[in-house]
Amino acid sequence: MWRGAIQFGLVTIPVKLYLATESSSIGFNMLHASCLNRIQMKIYCPFHDEVVPRSETVRGYEWSKGRYVVLSDEEMDAVPLKTVRAIEIEMFVDAHQGSAGVEFVKQAYYLEPDPIGRKAFELLRQVLSETGKSAICKIVLKDREQLAALNPYSRTMLLTTLHWPDEVRSLEELNIPDEPIEVKPAERAMAEQLISSMTGQFSPDNFRDDYRAALMSMIEAKVAGEAPVAAQRAEPTKIGDLMAALEASVAAAREARRGSPAEVGEEGANTAAASRGRKTA
Amino acid sequence: MPAEQLRLSVPTTGERPARRLPARIAPMQATPVDAPFDDPAYLFEPWWPGARALVLVERGGLRLQVDGLADALAAFPELRDLSAQLAEDGVVLDGTLLVLDDQGRPDPELLRSRLGGDSRSGRPAYVASDLLWAGGQPAGRRSFRVRRAWLEAILAPGDRVTVGRGYVGDGTLVAEALGGLGVEALSARRLDARHRSGPAGNAWLRAPVTPAEPRPRPTLSLILRLPLDV
Repeated sequence: MWRGAIQFGLVTIPVKLYLATESSSIGFNMLHASCLNRIQMKIYCPFHDEVVPRSETVRGYEWSKGRYVVLSDEEMDAVPLKTVRAIEIEMFVDAHQGSAGVEFVKQAYYLEPDPIGRKAFELLRQVLSETGKSAICKIVLKDREQLAALNPYSRTMLLTTLHWPDEVRSLEELNIPDEPIEVKPAERAMAEQLISSMTGQFSPDNFRDDYRAALMSMIEAKVAGEAPVAAQRAEPTKIGDLMAALEASVAAAREARRGSPAEVGEEGANTAAASRGRKTA
Repeated sequence: MPAEQLRLSVPTTGERPARRLPARIAPMQATPVDAPFDDPAYLFEPWWPGARALVLVERGGLRLQVDGLADALAAFPELRDLSAQLAEDGVVLDGTLLVLDDQGRPDPELLRSRLGGDSRSGRPAYVASDLLWAGGQPAGRRSFRVRRAWLEAILAPGDRVTVGRGYVGDGTLVAEALGGLGVEALSARRLDARHRSGPAGNAWLRAPVTPAEPRPRPTLSLILRLPLDV
């Protein structure tokens, strides 16, 4: 949670931020295999060959290979940031204009106005909604100034943090040649037919994380004691087992044929083959 | 095969001096046929899903000849002590290199990762089918029946290396049995044929266990059928 204020012009609207999404992936803890205790991460200094308490660590910025500038907490706090505790609206743009940058979203937050700011908050929300605009703003979250877009969402507003332009990687790294690719009308018609046959209304409720569901049901089965525990093999597999499996399988096939006259065995074959007496021997 | 009978068919090599093994041996190449068959002149074995490999043992040292691999032994270090299972020196075995999974079944994926340099995946094994040299003498001019009996006489079965099980005559029966083992082809070696480098003719045949069926079209066949190259 974050507490601050939306600011534009002379208007200040105190708000709280809440994460709009949560990761639903299943978290695991790292355990020591032999005792199943939680593994502890210790901060280790290879120079002193000892574990270091967090209080003895400082921030270092590597400004050239192996050389660091050390910044203290006080110095970090002293960095001038206009957007401390504020959502500073820089401009308004047409929503959904699809301009580069707005696509690269990081994280969505819900806004909740303080009681004193409710009216101004609602005014801003309504006007944005009716004019179809987005507010582009800056906000400091977790020691970092972030670029964000503010949009009306249901009864509140949604703040989506965006990547700075220099964080968006260039398309030049991809192998997509410039030459236009010729597409025949018949090809286009077939592709259009395929797309239209699969076109529908997007409803997120229809999509589920199947992997998570499968993993969770396995965990639940394990808790209930039903899960097939991976067998600890007493001894490694042997090639002789494979030959035994082959013999069993051939015996089963022979049994299935039941009383087949063909006698199998080297001796029987020797006589049979010898009677043929070919020149190749 | 009873031991006494084996002795009769195993040639003695003592009188001739041992020769050096060739640096490389051109293996026999099986002839594909359409379907399994029954013929008492043939020994039928599974066509194990693995890599064709020749094992050359000379003065206790071991070489592994696998097509396309410069140093196959580095990928299969567990096979280094194979020579301890051999009763003779100057030996060349022809067979199949397998990698077994936890269930002891040959796994072509594990084999691929082995050949790709991951020397820890699965458990390697070697199934010998033919004997090309023994006692420092080439054995290829003998009939396969003699070579196979000789092979069983000099290679003691171990945890990783063994002579394969073969069945004389009943090719269709073995093919039926192989369906359940996930083996897709059948090897048929003619008992009275000598070894040939290169194409085997009728000395060695490879038959699919089941005739090939047409695969169902993938669901995106509409896209795949677009004549993009036209």
